[in-house]
Amino acid sequence: MPAFIRSSCRRIIPLRATKVATLCLIIWAAGAAVDAAAQRRFNRSYPAGQNVRLQLLNRSGTVTVEGWNRQEVSISAFLEAPAATIEPQSLSGTIYINLVRDNQGRGDVGSVNFLIRVPFEAFVDIETKIGNLSVTNVRGGLVRAHITTEGDITLTNIEADNVSAQNGIGDIFFDGILQPNGNYRFASISGNISIRIPLGSSFRLVATAPSTRNISLGNFSGEHLRFVGDGRRVAGTAGDGSATLTITNQRGTISFLRR
Amino acid sequence: MNCVECKTRLEEFLAGKLDHEGRSAIIAHLITCDACTLECSRLAELIDAFDRSREESVLEPPNPSAIWRRISNTIEQELRANSKADRPDPEIEGPRRWTLSMRQLLLSVAAISLTSSLLTIVGIKNYFDPGGPDFVSRSVETQTTFEKLLSRVGLTETPQEARERRLREQQAAIEYWSRRVAARRAFWDEKLRRGFDRNLQAIDQAVIEYQRSLEQNPDDELSGEMLDSVMNEKMSLLREFAEL
Repeated sequence: MPAFIRSSCRRIIPLRATKVATLCLIIWAAGAAVDAAAQRRFNRSYPAGQNVRLQLLNRSGTVTVEGWNRQEVSISAFLEAPAATIEPQSLSGTIYINLVRDNQGRGDVGSVNFLIRVPFEAFVDIETKIGNLSVTNVRGGLVRAHITTEGDITLTNIEADNVSAQNGIGDIFFDGILQPNGNYRFASISGNISIRIPLGSSFRLVATAPSTRNISLGNFSGEHLRFVGDGRRVAGTAGDGSATLTITNQRGTISFLRR
Repeated sequence: MNCVECKTRLEEFLAGKLDHEGRSAIIAHLITCDACTLECSRLAELIDAFDRSREESVLEPPNPSAIWRRISNTIEQELRANSKADRPDPEIEGPRRWTLSMRQLLLSVAAISLTSSLLTIVGIKNYFDPGGPDFVSRSVETQTTFEKLLSRVGLTETPQEARERRLREQQAAIEYWSRRVAARRAFWDEKLRRGFDRNLQAIDQAVIEYQRSLEQNPDDELSGEMLDSVMNEKMSLLREFAEL
């Protein structure tokens, strides 16, 4: 390359880089402004008793529920455009949020992403048509998480007596402690179900994975659990079998992990 | 001898039990006393009659069975006469009355007791164990002898019949909800529509797998159970989306 051209490039390139960077910054700022305008926020708090119940039915979007050391329920929602209508109700110790009912007859409704904080001892019953569900640090009487179609369910540090997680396509992960006489049910059409519990847990198990026949018992395989139906099902008891654990995965895998 | 003494000794006199002196005294009194003579003759007739009847009874001993037959015939004749008088005309009355022998009656009672016991057992079992293994997902191999017997006589369905009936019911419900969904799906956003379709496709694939498995082995209990479960999932999905 001739010397005069090389010197010209040295002057031009820094100039162009600065312009491009500035342009990107402007575009990003504009995008953020548009996003901010499109996404509305909803915040509300309710005083709660020891055994408050949260009942949420969402249309689409993620729902995150976290237990905290306060006697109140805090609801934060991020509403994508076109914004859905939210009208929570608090009746005799239960907080109801029903976006299907509140937006009945509306064709186009944007997703709503919830972040809800509840007392540790709360009863949590959440459901969505599509989207991920996550529940953390809850040890009340019930944790129910249902997704009608697609989405992952993540239940972490759960010590509830009754747990039910069900989805169509998506993974289910449960991490917690099984309570004596507790009832635990996990069901999926297609996805992976993982159960992470302490090694000495006592439960009566019926785990069925008819399509993949992939049921991994991990450290729990030494217990009185046996494969039946050509390896499509595992049934039996671990420990004294006080809790009931029912897992069904139509077209996916089931695996046990040590906590 | 006076009359009183005579009457008290008349029986002995007639029986020949008195000695010569006593007999002479009685005879001497009877010659002089008409009343005692009359009493003596009556007593003599009575004793004669008694002796005759005793002699007859010894010669012709009574026949108890004949006497009873006569009595029985008389009773039956009277009963027949009464029943004829009481029985209305069969053309007017309608259904005739059943007459059963003791053996038939006992057999009938035994049959009724057995049937009612079996039905009671089935009823109690169904009442206390409704959540037991679902009959729809059962196989012939897991049927008890009693259940097989009931199936054979047509009192209950076989597992296969139950499964087919259940599938027809589920299919009918699915068709209904599918029509509702078809009418509503135009109002959903694209994301929801795609999610619904993918999920329905996954369910249908599972249904096909279980149906194939059941075609190969109709007694596969697990496939029957899973088919029932996944059909319920499909119904639930359609119903929930029909409400959107």
